[in-house]
Amino acid sequence: MRVPVGIKVGAFAVVVMSGYSWFANSIPQIESKPPEELSLEGGTVTQAQLVKAGEQIYHTKGTCEICHRIGQKGTRAPDLAGVGARAAKTKPGMSAKAYIIESLLQPQAYVVEGYPPIMPQIDKPPIALNRSELWALTAFLQSQGGTVDVTLADIPATAGAAAAGGGAAAAEVKLPGDPKAGEAVFGGKGTCIACHKAGSKFTAGTVGPDLSQIAKIQTPDYIMKKILDPKGMGTVAGFPPGVMPQDLGTRLAAKEYVDLVAFLLTLK
Amino acid sequence: MSTTTAVRRSTCACLLLLAAAALVLLALPAEAQQAAKEPAYRQFPVLGSRLAVWAVAQIHLNFAAFILGVPIFAVIIEIIGWRTGEARYDWLSHEFVKLTFAAFSTTALLGALLLFLFVGYYPKFWAFMSSIFFTTYWVYALLFFAETFTVYLWYYGWDWLSGSRKWIHVCLGVLSNLFGTAILVVANSWATFMMSPAGIDDSGALKGSVWGAMNNYAWMPINIHRLIANIVFGGTIAGAYAAFRFLSAKTDEERARYDWMGYIGNFVALSAFIVLPFAGYYLGREIYAFNQTMGITMMGGFMSWLWIIQAILIGILFLGSNYYLWLGMERIPGAERYRKYVPPMLIILTIGFMVWATPRSMVITLDEARAMGGTHHPLLGFFGVMSAKNTVVNLMILTTFLSYILYRRANKIPVASWVRTGMAVQWAAFGAAAAVVVFYGVYGYFVESIVRIGFSVYQVGAVLGAIVVVMAIDVPMFKGARSTGAIRWGTIAPHSQYVLILLAVTFTWLMGLMGFARSGIRQHWHVYGVLRDTSVDAVTPALGYAANVITVVTLVFFALVMFIFWIGGLGEKGQAGAHGHAAPVLAGGSDKDD
Repeated sequence: MRVPVGIKVGAFAVVVMSGYSWFANSIPQIESKPPEELSLEGGTVTQAQLVKAGEQIYHTKGTCEICHRIGQKGTRAPDLAGVGARAAKTKPGMSAKAYIIESLLQPQAYVVEGYPPIMPQIDKPPIALNRSELWALTAFLQSQGGTVDVTLADIPATAGAAAAGGGAAAAEVKLPGDPKAGEAVFGGKGTCIACHKAGSKFTAGTVGPDLSQIAKIQTPDYIMKKILDPKGMGTVAGFPPGVMPQDLGTRLAAKEYVDLVAFLLTLK
Repeated sequence: MSTTTAVRRSTCACLLLLAAAALVLLALPAEAQQAAKEPAYRQFPVLGSRLAVWAVAQIHLNFAAFILGVPIFAVIIEIIGWRTGEARYDWLSHEFVKLTFAAFSTTALLGALLLFLFVGYYPKFWAFMSSIFFTTYWVYALLFFAETFTVYLWYYGWDWLSGSRKWIHVCLGVLSNLFGTAILVVANSWATFMMSPAGIDDSGALKGSVWGAMNNYAWMPINIHRLIANIVFGGTIAGAYAAFRFLSAKTDEERARYDWMGYIGNFVALSAFIVLPFAGYYLGREIYAFNQTMGITMMGGFMSWLWIIQAILIGILFLGSNYYLWLGMERIPGAERYRKYVPPMLIILTIGFMVWATPRSMVITLDEARAMGGTHHPLLGFFGVMSAKNTVVNLMILTTFLSYILYRRANKIPVASWVRTGMAVQWAAFGAAAAVVVFYGVYGYFVESIVRIGFSVYQVGAVLGAIVVVMAIDVPMFKGARSTGAIRWGTIAPHSQYVLILLAVTFTWLMGLMGFARSGIRQHWHVYGVLRDTSVDAVTPALGYAANVITVVTLVFFALVMFIFWIGGLGEKGQAGAHGHAAPVLAGGSDKDD
């Protein structure tokens, strides 16, 4: 029987493309996952936890490894082995942590000789580390041969202010809620006051993270989801998991929920 | 039903479709305003929104590339036919435009479908894009109307605007290409803005005019790269169509005709393909200039293995194109003189292919890595870097050009008095270019990367210079050359036609892969660094998944193409040729090779 040309050509095309697919499936399979947000503000975190969190950021969200290595000389960026000790001597009169923070936030202020000025400001999109993440990353870099003494207060308050969702995403959120009414929900029906601090008015809560700058370090999307699904959004490092009531979102009326979010978005 | 009535009906149907698509386009601002009140995303049933957009966008782009690429060389062929008075070129040009015409309304429909998907499933994203690019939607719609009417007039006016009015017809062809290119340029500004946004402030609002957003880093390199790639793509698809018709042909005459058409398709594809890597360099350089992190992620991050797959595909395209030329030489009396060049050319291409496809880091087990002293092979690791790859790709381009030159002169013996000098200069040009390429390739291992990147410009310059010099000598040298016999069109080995199909399939698949690369380097951003992807699909998938999607989508594309060409061919059953274009008789030979 004579096989029609269309069948032969079709089968040939399928075989060729299957070969390409097979090869693509036989090489290392790497996905690029969106980074997770880390929040440490207001919480009790040990130095070891801080360094570990920083190491995680170094490998993932910070994308540092694209150019930097630890213990291996790179052509694009300096070896970071021993940077914790070296940083104290790089710029006269500048401490190790101050130099590292400057390198992260204003990388062009001092470029190591022999390397191109290509490092981006990592508190700005697309990397956009928040204050907590900058703190942890600085601690990790200090731990490379130096002494970890960086505190959250060392990270400028304006750092990481760029919304993680990008400028366009930040600009588009305009909630109809009333922050004043939301403040009442925070201190009343929402019972948030029992665990959280928030600005100068609510200072008693210590069980959960301090929310005094929550709008600066987190996206509106995160805040809204955290109220509706606290477990699903994870627990801030250094705090006990499962304490925040899972049914908070269902206990609030829609207007109360929107008001509460509007209030939290004023905390900068 | 008469042909005229059928034409009128199909014209009306297409115009209605286009009008509907244009209305949808112009209604988008209202949709965008509505989007501000809606959720950021909706979930497309079963497939998911990302996959749906991915598939439709890729098929739409394939069709768009075809209908924009083919008219570019169709009008050139028409001009050749007009100036030389050879009817076969006019027939071929008409045949190419016929293929474009058949795919025109499908492209528009897929574009409208893509738009619906964006508006419906990514409303916030679309609202943001509209806030920047609204004015360009009008320009796009107007250009689309202009392009449609011009192509209609070009196709249906073939007979009406013949003879002394042929120049008007040619102008219509040129005009439709200008409109088509303008459409491409406008649409590219949207896609490239997503990669390398410009002209906006920190909040994502337009700072000045829309021109600032259009004229972003990746825009011009993508314009050039896509324009060239569209010609290659159009050539390979037209070649595959001819191959299919060749294999299905019932008569020698038909076989000869489609053998010639396949040769022209491959010639067009190859000519444009040779310069495509240079446009790719330009694009890569501009991506680095926009954002080093993006550039490094593209070449050295999670996408690094994508370039190995790309190298394999391009290697297959080079080998396939050359093999087709060598098979074609077997039907040319006098070509036996050049058989001795085939083995060395094959060796250069094969070694080049192997070097280009050598990864920097091997996929090996831990034990193997320990035994080897790392993931870089002590010897092969040297071939995994850009110095080696730039060198071999330039040598492969030179070799392919040599194949073409030998094919071109296969049945010709030059009679010019200065042949010996001319030949010597040509070989010297080849040798000098190869020496420059190899010298900078080796020297690149001893300098910093920032210096090494600049070397590729010298290598490319040497190759392009050699091509210009060789052609500038070849054309006058072979003018009035003595023929060693007519080309026996239609007698080429049938498996050569599968090479043409291989080229079309591989290039289409490569376009899908490069589309994934262009889109994937944005990672979890709709608009890089400006508007983040917070949907469930924010993960950029691994290459295996991407390859499976590309394969399925490419299959769907070819199935649609075959269906459309079949539909288009139904109207011609029993006719000598559409619009009075009786096919030229080529069987029995022609000593014209192009």
